[in-house]
Amino acid sequence: MRMYKAAAVALVLQTTLLGAAYAQALNGNPLSDVRVRQAIEYAIDKKAIVENVFGGYAVPADGLLPNGPFKSDKLNAYPFDPEKAKALLKEAGWDSSRQLEMVYYYDDQVTANLMAVLQSELADVGITMNYHLIVGDVAKTLSSIPDDPKGKSVVTWDLAYGARAAMAMQEYFNDYATGKASSDGFPGSPDLDALIADSNTATDPEVAKADLKKIDEYINANALTIPLYYQQLQSVESKRLDRHGEPYGNDQFNYDWNVQNWTVTPDSNGKQILYTNGAPIDYFEQPWVNLGLWAGNKFIWAHMLAAKPFLDGVAEGDLAEKYDLSADGKTLVFTMRDGIKWHDGNPITTDDVTWSLEFAMKTPNLHGVLASVFNSIEGASDYLAGKAEHVSGISSDGKTVTIKFTKPNANTLLAFTQWGPFPKKSFEGVDPALVQQAPFWQKPIGSGPFMVEEAKFGDFSSFVPFADYYKGKPKIDQIIAWASADGDTNMTKNAAAGRIDFAVTKVVGDIEALKGMDNMKMTPLDIPYTRMIWINQYDK
Amino acid sequence: MLTYIARRLLIIVPMAVIISFIIYLALDLSPGDAVSRMMSPERSSDPARLEALRHALGLDQPLLVRYWIWLSGVARGNFGFTLTGGVPIGQILSERLPATLELSGTALILSSIFGSILGTISALKRYSLTDNVLTIAGMIGVSVPEFFFGLVAIVVFALNLHWLPVGGRLLPSYTNYWDHIPNLILPALVLSIMMTAGVMRYARSSMLDALSREFIKTARSKGLPEWRVNLLHGFRVALTPVIVLVGFRLPILIGGSVIIEQVFQWPGLGNLFVTAVRNKDLPVVMTIALLSVLLVLVVSLIIDVLTALIDPRVRIGG
Repeated sequence: MRMYKAAAVALVLQTTLLGAAYAQALNGNPLSDVRVRQAIEYAIDKKAIVENVFGGYAVPADGLLPNGPFKSDKLNAYPFDPEKAKALLKEAGWDSSRQLEMVYYYDDQVTANLMAVLQSELADVGITMNYHLIVGDVAKTLSSIPDDPKGKSVVTWDLAYGARAAMAMQEYFNDYATGKASSDGFPGSPDLDALIADSNTATDPEVAKADLKKIDEYINANALTIPLYYQQLQSVESKRLDRHGEPYGNDQFNYDWNVQNWTVTPDSNGKQILYTNGAPIDYFEQPWVNLGLWAGNKFIWAHMLAAKPFLDGVAEGDLAEKYDLSADGKTLVFTMRDGIKWHDGNPITTDDVTWSLEFAMKTPNLHGVLASVFNSIEGASDYLAGKAEHVSGISSDGKTVTIKFTKPNANTLLAFTQWGPFPKKSFEGVDPALVQQAPFWQKPIGSGPFMVEEAKFGDFSSFVPFADYYKGKPKIDQIIAWASADGDTNMTKNAAAGRIDFAVTKVVGDIEALKGMDNMKMTPLDIPYTRMIWINQYDK
Repeated sequence: MLTYIARRLLIIVPMAVIISFIIYLALDLSPGDAVSRMMSPERSSDPARLEALRHALGLDQPLLVRYWIWLSGVARGNFGFTLTGGVPIGQILSERLPATLELSGTALILSSIFGSILGTISALKRYSLTDNVLTIAGMIGVSVPEFFFGLVAIVVFALNLHWLPVGGRLLPSYTNYWDHIPNLILPALVLSIMMTAGVMRYARSSMLDALSREFIKTARSKGLPEWRVNLLHGFRVALTPVIVLVGFRLPILIGGSVIIEQVFQWPGLGNLFVTAVRNKDLPVVMTIALLSVLLVLVVSLIIDVLTALIDPRVRIGG
C-alpha cells in the first residue's frame, strides 16, 4: 500500500512540476530570469572551491538536501562551464553594467577567501559582484520580504551566502512557501507550496521523501538557490577515549550515543576525566533552542525518545519507555519509564511532561521543528491566544501522556527525540517568554547521564555521573568542559595540551592542525549542513 | 588643592552621565538588538514570539525610557540583568572582576616597575650596549602583536616544556588561591612584557629630557653624588610622564586585555565586554563602560594631584 501511495504521489508531482522553468525575467530584476541564475551556477567551479578554499574538507553540492537517502538522481550538477554561462547570459540579455551585491555573515578568513574566488569566477563570465559582511540584525537583513510577493524588494542584496543546518529535511524548504519570511528571496509558487505542505504532513516516510526529492529537483531545475557544498562535521577525539563501539552520529543534535558507556584512560590518580569544550560562557542555554549543540545540553538532559544516530528515526524510548503514534499521525501516547529521576533526586512525573509541553509552546525561541509540531496540538492556538488555560490536546493518566494533534506532522517523533521536560517546580512563577532569564540556568537540574557539579562561567564547567540514571551510572568519573562559543578558537591549542578528549568541529584550520597531532583522531560525519547562495528575485 | 579636588569630583558625575548616554545612544543606533542576536540566521524563528521576548525584556520601549530605567537602577546600585541570560550583572562582576584585576593588576605593577627601572638604566647608559639592547627589546615589545607573543609563549612554555598550563584560570581540583598561580604566570608575563616595553620607552626619553635640564647641572655643581642627582632629582621629574602613561592604563583593570584573555582563555571582563557588544547586551556593556569611564575620570584627577606632589614645578587649582 505504501509503495502504491508513493508511486501515485510521484506521478502527480511529475505532471505538475515538469517544465516549471520559465526562460524570461518575471520582473525588472534580471535575477528573476532562470537563465541568469543558471549562468551563475555554471560560472562557479564548486570542485575547485572545495579543494582550494576548504582544503578538501567539504563535498561539492548539487542539491540542497545532503547526500544519502534523500538525494534525487535527477539533479543537474551544473558542471563548471564558463562558456555556457556566457551563452546563457547573452541569451538573457544580461546588462554587464549591472553590479550584483553579495552579502554574508561569517566573519572568518575562509569565507573572505571564498568571496574573492566567487567574485573572480563571476567576473570571468561578465558578472561584476561586490561583497560585504552583514553586521547587526542579520536575520532581518536576510529574511525581510515585501508584503506583496510581486512588490519591490525590501532588501538591497542580490546574493546572500549562508547555510541551512537541518534537523528535519523539511527545514531546507519550508521557507520557500509563498509569503514566508525567508532568506531565499523567492516569491513562491503554488506548485511548490503544495509540495511543501505535503512534505510536512506526510506520515508515511516514503511519501515525505518523494515530496522532498521533488522540491529539491524543482529548486535545482529553476536554480532558485545555488547549493555550493555540504560541510562535514569532524568528531574530534583523543586516543584516551574509548567509545566501546557506541555509534557516531549527528553531534549537532541529540541521538542515542550512550555516553554512559564511554571510558577514558584514568589519570595518575586513577580517575577517568574526560575533557571537552562547549561549556557555557555565562549561563547554560536552555536546551529547546539549539537542542544538542552545547556540552551542558548534551550531557545533562534526557529526552522523551532517543533518535537513531543520524536522526533517521527513533532508536528507542528514552524517558518514555514506550510510545505509540496512531496510523493517522494524530494521536501520540507516551508511557513513562518507572523510577526516572531529576538530578536532585525527585521523580520525573507526567505532570512535569504536560506542564513542560505547555510551557515550551510559549517560549520565544523554541526550535522551529519543535514549534511546528507543538503548534499543531489540539487547542494550541486557543492556549497561545490566551483563550484557554491549558492545551486541550494534552492529557495524562497514571504513567501515560496523550497528545492529540489537529493534523499529522512528518516530524512528530523526531521532535520528541530532541525534546525533554524541565522540572516543573523549578520554574514556578517564571514567565515562559523569559525562560532563558530564569536563575535555573546558572546550575540546571537535568535528567541525563551527567549532572552539573560546578560551573565557573567563562572558564569551565564540571559534570559528574548521575547515579540514578536509568541506563546505569556512567563509567567516566568527571567531565570537564572548557567554556567556548560555537567554533571554539582554543580547541586545537587545548587538544595539543591534552585538554580535549571529545569535541566536534567544521573549521578547516582546526582540521588541518588536528591532522598533525599524534594524540588525536578525527571521524568525518555526514550531517545535513549545506552552504548555499540565496538569490533575491524580487523586483528591485 | 582641596577645593580643586572637590570641584573635580563634582564634575565627574555629570560627565559620567553624558558619556554613558553617548555610549548608550551609539549602541542603540547600531543595527539589531539583543533579541535579533539571540537568533541564529541559519534557522527560522517566529517573529511574533520574538516580539513577545522584546516586550518582556522592555526592548520595545523608547530609547530615553530604557536609558532612564538603566540609569536610575545604577543610581540605586542595581546594575540590572544580562538580556541574553538574565544573570545579575553584580554577580557577573563578582565572578569576572577578580580575574581581570588579578591579570591586569599584576601586569600593570610589573610593567610599571620594570619599565621605569629599565628605561632609567637605558637613559643613564645612553648609546651603550645595554641601551641598544634595551632599545631594540623595547621596539620589539611595542611592535609585535600581543596574540603572537602569547601564542609563542604557549608553544614554548606550555606545549613543549610543559612548565605551565596552556590556559584557563581555575580547575575543580584547585582547593586554595595559590593553586591557580601557575595559570596566571604566562598571561601576566606576556601582558607585562608588552606593557613594559611602552613604559620603558617613555621612561627613557623622559629621563633623558630630565637629565638635560639646568637643575641637574646645578645639582651636579653642588657636588652631590651622581646617584643622588640621577635618582632624587632626575628620576623624580622623569617619573611625571610615566605616571600619566601608567595612570591612563588603569582602565584595563576594568576592561581587561581582550586579546590576552582570548589567547589564554582567561575568564575576565575583556572577553565578556566584547561578547556583550556583539550581542547588544546593553546592561552589560553599559556597566563595564560606566566603570571604565569613572575610573578614567578619577584616575585623571589622581594623576593631576600626584604630578603636583612629585614635581614641585607643577601647581594645580590656581
